[in-house]
Amino acid sequence: MSEPQTQAVGVIHDLGYRRYDGPRLGRAQITRALIWHSFRSSFGIGRGVKAKIIPILACIAMLLPAFVNAFAVSRGNSRLFGYDVYTPQLRVIVVTIFIAAQAPELVSRDLRSHVLPLYFSRPIRRGDYPLAKYIALTAALLLLIEIPLLVLYVGTIASAKNDHAVWNETKALIPGLGVGLMWAVLMAAVGLVLASLTGRRAYATGIVAISCFLTWTVSEVLIQAEGGITSTSTGARIAGLFSPFNLLDGIRIWLGGTSPGEDANPGHFGPLYGVVGVLLLAACLGGLAARYRKVSRA
Amino acid sequence: MPSTTPSPDGPPEAVIETRALTKVYPGNVTALDGLTVSFASGVTGLVGANGAGKSTLIKILLGLLPPTKGQAKVLGHDCETSGETIRTLLGYMPEHDCLPPDVTATEFVTHLGRMSGLPPTVAKERAAESLRHVGLHEERYRLIGTYSTGMKQRVKLAQALVGDPRLLLLDEPTNGLDPAGRTAMLELIERIGAEFGISIVVASHLLGEIERICDHLVAIEAGRLLRADTITSFTQVSQVLAVEVEEGLAQLEAELNARGLGVTVAHRTLLVPLAGDDTYDVVRDAVADLALPLCRLEQRRHQVEELFRDEQDEQDEPSEEGMTRV
Repeated sequence: MSEPQTQAVGVIHDLGYRRYDGPRLGRAQITRALIWHSFRSSFGIGRGVKAKIIPILACIAMLLPAFVNAFAVSRGNSRLFGYDVYTPQLRVIVVTIFIAAQAPELVSRDLRSHVLPLYFSRPIRRGDYPLAKYIALTAALLLLIEIPLLVLYVGTIASAKNDHAVWNETKALIPGLGVGLMWAVLMAAVGLVLASLTGRRAYATGIVAISCFLTWTVSEVLIQAEGGITSTSTGARIAGLFSPFNLLDGIRIWLGGTSPGEDANPGHFGPLYGVVGVLLLAACLGGLAARYRKVSRA
Repeated sequence: MPSTTPSPDGPPEAVIETRALTKVYPGNVTALDGLTVSFASGVTGLVGANGAGKSTLIKILLGLLPPTKGQAKVLGHDCETSGETIRTLLGYMPEHDCLPPDVTATEFVTHLGRMSGLPPTVAKERAAESLRHVGLHEERYRLIGTYSTGMKQRVKLAQALVGDPRLLLLDEPTNGLDPAGRTAMLELIERIGAEFGISIVVASHLLGEIERICDHLVAIEAGRLLRADTITSFTQVSQVLAVEVEEGLAQLEAELNARGLGVTVAHRTLLVPLAGDDTYDVVRDAVADLALPLCRLEQRRHQVEELFRDEQDEQDEPSEEGMTRV
């Protein structure tokens, strides 16, 4: 067994071509490699300088309030932002810009240059590709949202007077991280399904940005029209359903978020927010899977 | 002839086998119609006009498209149930452009090596090697967007080669290349088949082109097998003698027909089926007897379209190019 093989390798080596007989990674590991590759490119790593600008600016913008907080707390003030909301409007804007720029980076490029047949002629299956992209963008958003919260936490406990205060901060942080996870899971799905509609990157960015801002604006205007955030009218309570961001905030309040929201309290419509949130996520992921089924069959 | 794969399972004699393979697309478009054929190891040309079902066959072989009926096996694995295994053993070069412009060839091929299941360092090494094998040296650090068509075709071939496949499926590898580029690409494919010991299937609509490098040919037409044979028996039927005379074309045509050669006229040229060396003598004698000014006598090879023109009723298959169209 070993002898003919050595011989074969020897012969081929003379001719310049080397066989590969080492270990080969399976489908799961290939998908993992694709996740890692996509995760890196969602921060522009492994890409040109231009690709790094928006991710870096987004991270700085998100971190700034946390550093301001650390400074303020060290001067004797109490913590400036709630962990479960952080800086609500800034977060909406930064997350929108980030997914509008980076979701097309993950999916539209491959569509544009017709690379997909090369992926689908390799061991991974059709669904693995969108799944990998989704996990990668979720992880990237998670970093973008959670790291500022951790900085907020560290900056605050650095000036804490006793263990009790540290424990209170920790208890407040954990639900905040949970809210961040919800944001990442939903917004990554929304961003990718919208970006995968077109291979033209500028259009994809436009579609994501306009969808996010427009729905948010509509939702905010409706809330104002129905009497603002303190209103208890049904219209004001359900107006948040029209924007993924306000939807997420409604779910946060329903689940017991303590910080006052920017938007009307969903009141007893809380479960509706939960259901709509789950449905929206399912629709986006289903749409994404369907998109790639179509691509490879064509 | 390259030896077959040294895989421990024992290489199957035929690298591809199909049995009554049928694919009907929605809208009742029949792309493959009961195709039964086997591809031996070595370099095999898959010829057929556009729309003959070549790309559909390739998609089924890659396990990306389920056949409507029938069965296909690649290297002994069933395409419907073992697509994943097959795809680890295959390298595929699509017909259409499939390269992103904004990465370097090294990065791109390395990434696709990872996607073929190679560990990180191996992927890097093999990417460099594959690019060297296809003739890209220093250029491989440049962005693909700056490449010529010929260089892009080479990158497409390198990415198919990076995972050390047992079988390469090349779909129209000379697409868009100039004559020199075509020759270079064909020589490269020939070398891979002969020296690397990898079996290759080259799909093309240009029989005259790929017959130079193939051991076997499989010709399909409207989803059916037309002929599968070794290259030598194939080219005999495909060879014709083109005869041009400055005047007296009709005269010569009649004379040659009278001497028992089935002559056809194409523009100002007489096409005489080349049966053997005798044909040359018959033509020479006929021209000499008629005392006609002969200005051209050359051996020609048909394109596959010409070869089967009689039997062919050009059918358009809408999804032929779908694989890379998104």
